[in-house]
Amino acid sequence: MLYALMGLGLSLITGVLNIPNFAHGALFAVGAYLLVSCINLTGNFWIALLVAPLGVAILGLVIEYAGVRRLYAAGHDYQLLFTFGLALILNELIIVIWGPVGISQLPPALLRGGVDLGFTFYPKYRLFVMVMAGLLVLLTWLFLERTRYGAIMRAGIENKEMVSLLGIDIHRLFTVAFALGAFLAGIAGALTAPIRGLSPQMGVDMLGIAFVVVALGGLGNLLGAIAAGLLIGVAQAVVAAYWTEASTAVIFAVMALVLLVRPQGILGIR
Amino acid sequence: MKRRAILKAGAATAALGFPAIIRAQQKEVVILGLWDQTGAFADVGPLNDRGMRMALEERDMKILGRPVKYVTRDGATQAGTSTRRAEEAIDGEGARFMIGPWSSGVALAVSEVAKRKKVLHLFSGGTEDISGSRCHRYSFQWAASPYTAAKTVVDNFMKANPKAKRWHLLVADYAFGWSVEKYIKEVGKAHGLEFVGADRHPLGEREFSNYVQKAAANRPDVVAMINFGGDAVAGAREIFNFGLTPKVPLIMSWSSGVEELIQLAPEIRENMWVGTNFYYTADTPVAKEFVKNYRAKFKTPPGYAPSASYSMTRLMLAGFDKAKSVEVEAVIKALEGIEVNDLLGRMRVDGATHQTLRPYFFLRCKPKKAMKEELDLADVIATGDTPLPKEYAACKDIGGF
Amino acid sequence: MRAWIFIAVAIVALPLIVRPVIASEIWIFAIFGLGLNLLLGYTGLLSFGQSTFFGSAAYVAGWLLKHYGINVFFALGIGVGVGALSALVVGYLCVQRSGLYFIMLTFALNQLFYFVAYQWTTVTGGEDGMQGVPRPSLGFDFSNPLLYYAFVSALFVLSLWAMKRIVESPLGRILQAIRENELRAEAVGYNVPRFKLLAFVIGGAFSGLAGVLYAMLFGIVPLEAISFVFSGNVVFATLIGGSGSLYGPIIGSFVFIWLSESMSVVWARWPLLLGVAFVIVVLFFRGGVVEAWNRLWRFSRPKTSANPSAR
Repeated sequence: MLYALMGLGLSLITGVLNIPNFAHGALFAVGAYLLVSCINLTGNFWIALLVAPLGVAILGLVIEYAGVRRLYAAGHDYQLLFTFGLALILNELIIVIWGPVGISQLPPALLRGGVDLGFTFYPKYRLFVMVMAGLLVLLTWLFLERTRYGAIMRAGIENKEMVSLLGIDIHRLFTVAFALGAFLAGIAGALTAPIRGLSPQMGVDMLGIAFVVVALGGLGNLLGAIAAGLLIGVAQAVVAAYWTEASTAVIFAVMALVLLVRPQGILGIR
Repeated sequence: MKRRAILKAGAATAALGFPAIIRAQQKEVVILGLWDQTGAFADVGPLNDRGMRMALEERDMKILGRPVKYVTRDGATQAGTSTRRAEEAIDGEGARFMIGPWSSGVALAVSEVAKRKKVLHLFSGGTEDISGSRCHRYSFQWAASPYTAAKTVVDNFMKANPKAKRWHLLVADYAFGWSVEKYIKEVGKAHGLEFVGADRHPLGEREFSNYVQKAAANRPDVVAMINFGGDAVAGAREIFNFGLTPKVPLIMSWSSGVEELIQLAPEIRENMWVGTNFYYTADTPVAKEFVKNYRAKFKTPPGYAPSASYSMTRLMLAGFDKAKSVEVEAVIKALEGIEVNDLLGRMRVDGATHQTLRPYFFLRCKPKKAMKEELDLADVIATGDTPLPKEYAACKDIGGF
Repeated sequence: MRAWIFIAVAIVALPLIVRPVIASEIWIFAIFGLGLNLLLGYTGLLSFGQSTFFGSAAYVAGWLLKHYGINVFFALGIGVGVGALSALVVGYLCVQRSGLYFIMLTFALNQLFYFVAYQWTTVTGGEDGMQGVPRPSLGFDFSNPLLYYAFVSALFVLSLWAMKRIVESPLGRILQAIRENELRAEAVGYNVPRFKLLAFVIGGAFSGLAGVLYAMLFGIVPLEAISFVFSGNVVFATLIGGSGSLYGPIIGSFVFIWLSESMSVVWARWPLLLGVAFVIVVLFFRGGVVEAWNRLWRFSRPKTSANPSAR
């Protein structure tokens, strides 16, 4: 589910802005670290869960306004360089502010311990994350499918020129899309923190997976990203049961396969 | 602070270029600490640095009347980067004595550099190859032999839990993991243990849910982890989250002690058994003094990382003292067979393999109600120092200079 | 002509300023960058998996050097061959896609190769790397770092000359045409995928050469040599130097290697500066150092449209 969340955010950004956002993993990490700081400040997990992703969204706004905005016409290589540079800066800032040591963050007291599901014992917090992520995905999807602004955004993915010809401020659209994508990354990070613990490197792996999800789902295909995220999560678990070491590598194999055979993604129509 | 950075920048620019002859003063003894500031062990590097610095400062940065220049390099927990930077420090700064790095796999590569450049190299880690199949005259292993560690852990655990025959292993997938795994299985044979599973995970892994579920499916009596630092913490946490522990005891076979344990909540530590190269309640005069000073400076007691670098530095300095010389060959000869009563108690360096023979600690973590204070994490229930039996010794000839 | 003088001076002066090992590394990375830039700068293909070819060549040649004691020429040949071959395989798969898909595909395949290298510990050493790669002599005793440096720089000059010939040849022109407008090139009758593949193979050959030299330089093939991080490094170094110019990768190599080696000693958080450098380059100096340099030379002259780094 987390993969779906990350994939959705990245798909939004790559779809609407057509930019490979290499800083997506770093945004994920910032979300997690902001959560920890918030909890340290307020002592309340739930407040932090709200504030942290908002913080990342604001960061996204700033990034888009200050930098990404100028890069729409530039080639992918420069966009990559820029977002990668951003990722480096964010990563190092995390180390400067929070130190290089891994941090542990416990789930809120309400969600500790596990649930006996009969066939397996499953941690409560993970169930919560699944539900929460699912909810967010649903909400995002509803926003995109059912609201007017969401429709504009989807149109922006399909045909930017048309949208701006219709008189809609395409730049504002991009900014919102980026901020929304950042928000999703941030909340994914915040949710993950109690599961995986925090370390400055935490964004790097997530970045790879996010790109795989996007590739699998089809660039800009938001529903596809969701489906792909779920699929990858399941596939990883299945492979892990037989060949644990390969569970990470297998998703790249799948990614390569899909890109070759069906680049529009499993659900794509393009 | 700023001025120092500028000076350092200037020094760095100079360091990149001018040959050692111009810069290293003739009398200086240059000692290199290869400690990671980035990469998988980025959090350990600073700790190592602390211990080494403390040991050197105890001597006022002087040895045998000469000033000591302590330089550090970030190996980035990568073999390529570490060997490059080590060579640069040796050629550029004139370092003749090297301690580190932390990762056993990387250390094997660095050990090659030590051999090629003929510099003294001390290392603490879980691979047996440095005092085994890859042994040579210039490298010394401070950590207990993985055999000693495995024997201490398995023997003492079985004494307390004689019925726990089904073991599931979770192993870090590199040199250190492989060595310890091998010996746990060896020693386990004598206890009639059945290894129902042994999964390997990459160094730096944080997503353990799949591994844990697989472990649970095997219905083990014990889960033994052979990993370290962040990996161990993440693993222990997941094993607890999925309800495997505390029903099933969890062994951390090669832990850093305090540094890992404080990251885990007391509930997680219940029924945890820990093997470590050093625990801060060790009852030796040197340890007591060291722990006191470390706590005064850094608030928390020292774990394996700073203690290892501290002890290795002291061992090296003892070598200087014994040799009454700062020539690499003389110090090496002095270290071979040296016996000290130091941080861990009685420690001896085997001249034939360059392996340090010393106690390995086995602890049992305390449940929350038994903890007298926040840092009263565990009791040392045993130490073991059985050296590697001759038939396993892979170091047939330590070689010459 | 001026460029060649600069390069000659650089080759001679470099070992006086930095250690021969670092100097060698700079030229090796420059060869790597030249290979990449054929794809990136000239054909417009952002290959984010060049370390696949670099690393594969390094591993294979390293293995043969270590266990079969092959000589230097053979090792170089193997390096070039493996680099080209792996590029053929990867390229064949990748040229079928374009844009972001292409980038992601090169990345995904790189990850797969990385996984193989990571898992196949008996051959590659996995996480620990392939250690103990020898540096056999060739008449000259290459264990002397200065002599090896001379060898490396000679090979660099050769590579640069070869690349120059390639980009100035009709092939080079066709590749640039593909970069400018793929559809038009196709319409004019060129088999675009075939040419892209050719660019890949040539780029791969250069990468392979660099890989072997790297392995012999450090005596080890570390796992990072086949990682996507390494792929990223060469892309960024080339962009910083300026992908619009033949010499861009060279400057990029200088900047990147020198920065990372000198900075890491001073400040552990130096990647922050690197990130800032990237951002600055993208926002202000799209054409990299080459463009900045050109701008400096032309600041008094009226703007011409013949700026090679314009896109």
